[in-house]
Amino acid sequence: MSTDTTTSTDTTTAPRHELVYFALRNRKLVIGLSIVGFLAIVAIVAPLFARSNPNAFVGPPMQPPSSSYLLGTTYFGQDVYSQLVNGLRQSFLVGVMGGGIAFVVATAVGFTAGYRGGAVDEVLNMLTNVLLVIPTLALLIIIGGYLKGTSIVFEAVFVGATAWPWAARAIRAQTLSLASRDFVGLARLSGVRSWRIVVGEVAPNMSSYLFLTFILLFGNAILISASYDFLGFGPPNGVSLGNMMNLAFAWNALQLHVWWWFVPPGIAIMAIVGGLYVTNVGLDEVFNPKLRSVS
Amino acid sequence: MHKHVKRAVAAVLAASLAAPAFAIGGAGASSHATTTSFPRNETVYTSGTAYSPPTNWNPLSIGAYATGTIGLLYEPLFLYDPTANKTVPWLATSGSWTSPTSFDIKLRDNVTWSDGQPFTAADVAYTIGLAKTSPTVPYANLGQYIADVQQVGKYEVVVDFSKPAYTQWQNFLYGNNATPMLPAHVWSKISASAVASFANPHPVGTGPMLLDEANAQEVAYKTSTHWWATKDLGLKLKFNYLVDIVNGSNNVELGQVLQGNIDLSNNFLPGISKLVGGISSSYGLQTYYAKAPYMLSANTVWLEPNIAKAPMSNVNFRKALAYAVDPRQIASVVYSNIVQPANPTGLLPNLASYVDKGVVAKSGFSYNPAKARALLKASGYKGRTITLEVPNGWTDWMAAAQVIVGDLKAVGINARATFPVYNTRVADLTNGTYDLALDNNAGPSATPWAYYDRIYQLPIQGKQTAQLNWERVNDPVSWALVQKLGTTPPTSTAALQSIYAQLEQRTLETMPVIPLWYNGAWAQYNTTYWTNWPSAAPSSNHYTPVMWGGWLGQDTTILALAALKTAK
Amino acid sequence: MRRYFARKLLTYFLTFFVAVTLDWGIPRLMPGDPIAGLLAKFQLQPSSYAALHSSYTKAFNLGEPLWRQYLDFWWALLHGSLGTSIYAYPDPVTTVIEHAVVFTLALLLPATILSYLAGNKVGAIAARRKVLDNTVLPFSYMLTATPYQWLALLLAFVLAGVAHVFPISGGFSYALVPTLSWAFLWSLLAHWFLPFATLFLVGFGGWAIGMRNLIIYELDADYAHFLESLGAPRRLVRKYAYKNARLPQLTGLALSLGTIVGGAVVTEIVFNYPGIGWLVLQAISSEDYFLLQGIFLFIIVGVLLANFVVDVVYLLVDPRTRIGLQGGTR
Repeated sequence: MSTDTTTSTDTTTAPRHELVYFALRNRKLVIGLSIVGFLAIVAIVAPLFARSNPNAFVGPPMQPPSSSYLLGTTYFGQDVYSQLVNGLRQSFLVGVMGGGIAFVVATAVGFTAGYRGGAVDEVLNMLTNVLLVIPTLALLIIIGGYLKGTSIVFEAVFVGATAWPWAARAIRAQTLSLASRDFVGLARLSGVRSWRIVVGEVAPNMSSYLFLTFILLFGNAILISASYDFLGFGPPNGVSLGNMMNLAFAWNALQLHVWWWFVPPGIAIMAIVGGLYVTNVGLDEVFNPKLRSVS
Repeated sequence: MHKHVKRAVAAVLAASLAAPAFAIGGAGASSHATTTSFPRNETVYTSGTAYSPPTNWNPLSIGAYATGTIGLLYEPLFLYDPTANKTVPWLATSGSWTSPTSFDIKLRDNVTWSDGQPFTAADVAYTIGLAKTSPTVPYANLGQYIADVQQVGKYEVVVDFSKPAYTQWQNFLYGNNATPMLPAHVWSKISASAVASFANPHPVGTGPMLLDEANAQEVAYKTSTHWWATKDLGLKLKFNYLVDIVNGSNNVELGQVLQGNIDLSNNFLPGISKLVGGISSSYGLQTYYAKAPYMLSANTVWLEPNIAKAPMSNVNFRKALAYAVDPRQIASVVYSNIVQPANPTGLLPNLASYVDKGVVAKSGFSYNPAKARALLKASGYKGRTITLEVPNGWTDWMAAAQVIVGDLKAVGINARATFPVYNTRVADLTNGTYDLALDNNAGPSATPWAYYDRIYQLPIQGKQTAQLNWERVNDPVSWALVQKLGTTPPTSTAALQSIYAQLEQRTLETMPVIPLWYNGAWAQYNTTYWTNWPSAAPSSNHYTPVMWGGWLGQDTTILALAALKTAK
Repeated sequence: MRRYFARKLLTYFLTFFVAVTLDWGIPRLMPGDPIAGLLAKFQLQPSSYAALHSSYTKAFNLGEPLWRQYLDFWWALLHGSLGTSIYAYPDPVTTVIEHAVVFTLALLLPATILSYLAGNKVGAIAARRKVLDNTVLPFSYMLTATPYQWLALLLAFVLAGVAHVFPISGGFSYALVPTLSWAFLWSLLAHWFLPFATLFLVGFGGWAIGMRNLIIYELDADYAHFLESLGAPRRLVRKYAYKNARLPQLTGLALSLGTIVGGAVVTEIVFNYPGIGWLVLQAISSEDYFLLQGIFLFIIVGVLLANFVVDVVYLLVDPRTRIGLQGGTR
């Protein structure tokens, strides 16, 4: 995504308390984390108190928000509020799993390509390029047709397996610049094994960068899975934010003016992803003193 | 450098915006593309039939021909009126059995093809003759029954059969499978193997309209001045153009209907019951019935078990399925009451006179979970998970499948709904690898014969490509009864009624398929530009209001179109 | 310079080759027989079915062994043919795609270019004016975090469904036949605006934020402080910062092309806009191998071309490479 600022990792590992001090004072970080944190708590706690089956037909169809149905009912008479909080949970799950898988793959590819170089680098570059160019959406649709139906795990795996290329590129670039540093050369001379060097010397020096990358991948995963759900390729029996939008669209919420069915899930996604991006920038400022002075 | 870049970018932008006009101008298979725009008050816009671009006008390519091919371009010998349950002589003036193996058809004498040639017995003889000369035509199985087709003068045809085949012949003559007449002078040049699949981009027909224009988005027809029905029956189309739109998704079509861009929509439009209010309401929307069920019934939706597989092979299990499902909940929750639950026999309302009330009272089923549980126990069901397959994207069926699965789970059947893509689902049914499916191939017909022919067809092939007996029931007794219908003359009503009663009884006892509800003949009219649409009101006509293949040209939709008046 | 281009071109060709092979292979992994799918709409007696099935299979060359089909594919490709479509039989695939690709290009090119330029400009301004920063920034965050389909639904609901300012769907009015007339062009434009706005707004947010952050970073670099200490006017410093910030943004542009195409797909679906994305869904539901292959090919070539263009622009914009750096790695 375009919000990836290619910051270099020139920070010397600042003392812990200094980081925390700036973290607490950074407005963006605080706001972003609050939004995401609040929604995460809602996702964990609220479904326990809402109706047990969000897909149950509980009331008259297409009711606007009222005291008995906080966010109204769907075309079928299901409780939108219950669907929203359960959908939040599922979207968070897919986001974390998908983002996590993408993160693991991206770091593996990025580190290897950046550290090893040579033929390995070229091959991995090729792989990255091919994946960047293939329309993954169409790929998913085809593979989805192969299986009788998809599940949350499948969706997370697919999202993870296709969202990593840009992160791998960025990690590779960082690894390249770090790998030429003296302390790495020293470790090599001492005969330390490659992966030990990567894990022990290189990675800790880009830890902030890695953290930021994970946050972006998490946000991306949520957005991508919402697209897949919207197109009807998500798990059919579950409730997710994207699927709510899909059903609302298919069942004429637009023309019937049942706005309470598709507006809340969209706002929820916007809030999570937006919160994550804001947190990302805030954290960037905390880690990089150079950025702190401006806003 | 900067200025040049800016200019280049601006040029690219302008070009990309105007590109669609250049690229699609001149596309399509129009023969006289002089029309550049359709005046709104002279055009009827329809939607809900086409899901792929119009590229084929061959009336033998069932399922592939563009909307309007049969009905606007090509016409059959008789029309069928399901509401009145009678036939309307069309290209033929009369048809009757002169002996158990000989059928006489008298034709109209003032019909011309759109290229000026007269319509004669030669065309009818050619069309019927294809059953014997071409194995690819949809009615090729008729060939084994026909011995000879003779032309008696210019306007009479006699068909001689090798053995009585009343029902198969009736299927060809009228009803939703009726075959339109083809121009011998044009089609005899086509090879027998290509006759059912070539695209026919310059169609020559007898119908009221001519092909005007086709592109990826729509097909347009222009009214012809030489239609025979104007003189013979006093029918005249009051619009100059009919444009049928290729569908996007159903919600897109609803938006178009509400804005008045579409006059007749045959899409399933969820929530339509909330928006319908007659001509006086702000949307000007109307449906056939002013209240539930709003729509005429179009076909019976079956819960179809794969009888060749356990546990569906057990009759008590199938009966348990029948008692477990609540079609009224499906009708109200999923369809907002624009469908109605089916009669236990599954026969459509137009065949109500054939339903034996005694049989239904004795053996009919209804929603009863307690009874379902008892039957389930009697069947010895061990708890195996069974899947219910519904095509992905058929949103109403997907929702209905969830309701059904909920009902099945409530009585103790481990069921799960799956949503494969349409072709995979058809393949699973054809190959017999499914457990449960929803099937609505049982469309309207003039007698119940087609319904039972579909259920009991034998022999069972490895691949049931004809989509008959998809549930694979092996019942030679019932099949023999169905075949007897084919050899019993249509005039022996008592004998026929007795056979139907037996079939209804056997079907309820063995439950090869479970009729749930009648899917609607979805039809929503916007009355802003055109009025006098079909409706149940006594002052309106009761013709069929759908443009679907099998309805437009074979039922009375063409009469409905001729009855339209402008709204001004 | 030449070596740099040679390496780039080699990479592109290799990627093209691998991608095209995958493109050919993956649709064939789809379950089911596409001819059976085509005939699924028909309800045929077994004899008619068998006869039709074999004639269609021959027409589509599907009876050949796989390696033969692969070679035939490349051969036809080099002759500019992508086969016959099943979805719109008997139209050739190239015709079907042609009609659709112009619509998608009409959306993507203006939306991407304009949102990129506008986003960069606004982001740069926001980086130096605090007032603008405080309004533009949250708004841009909201935009870039918005799922495309949701914004499309909102715009369709508000501007088309409720306010009736724009048409709610389609590529052009049903009442018009595609011709070169002002009425038709106007109809095209009216139907184009909402999908364009969707893609533009989401893209704009992202570029604005990206540019703003990059400029802030650049303004704090050593050379910027040095210039300031020399007494250079602020405008000059900002100009250099802008030039330096453009480079990573360009790289970002190349990387985000896949996302933009994905966004175009869902937007086209909401608006029923007859572009490539919408066509993909039709092809999938008809199990039309050839149409799918053709569309993927277009997308792959398009993205590769776009990458190439971005590389060239990068080269022209980055003075280091212009002066003859070899590019690539150590």
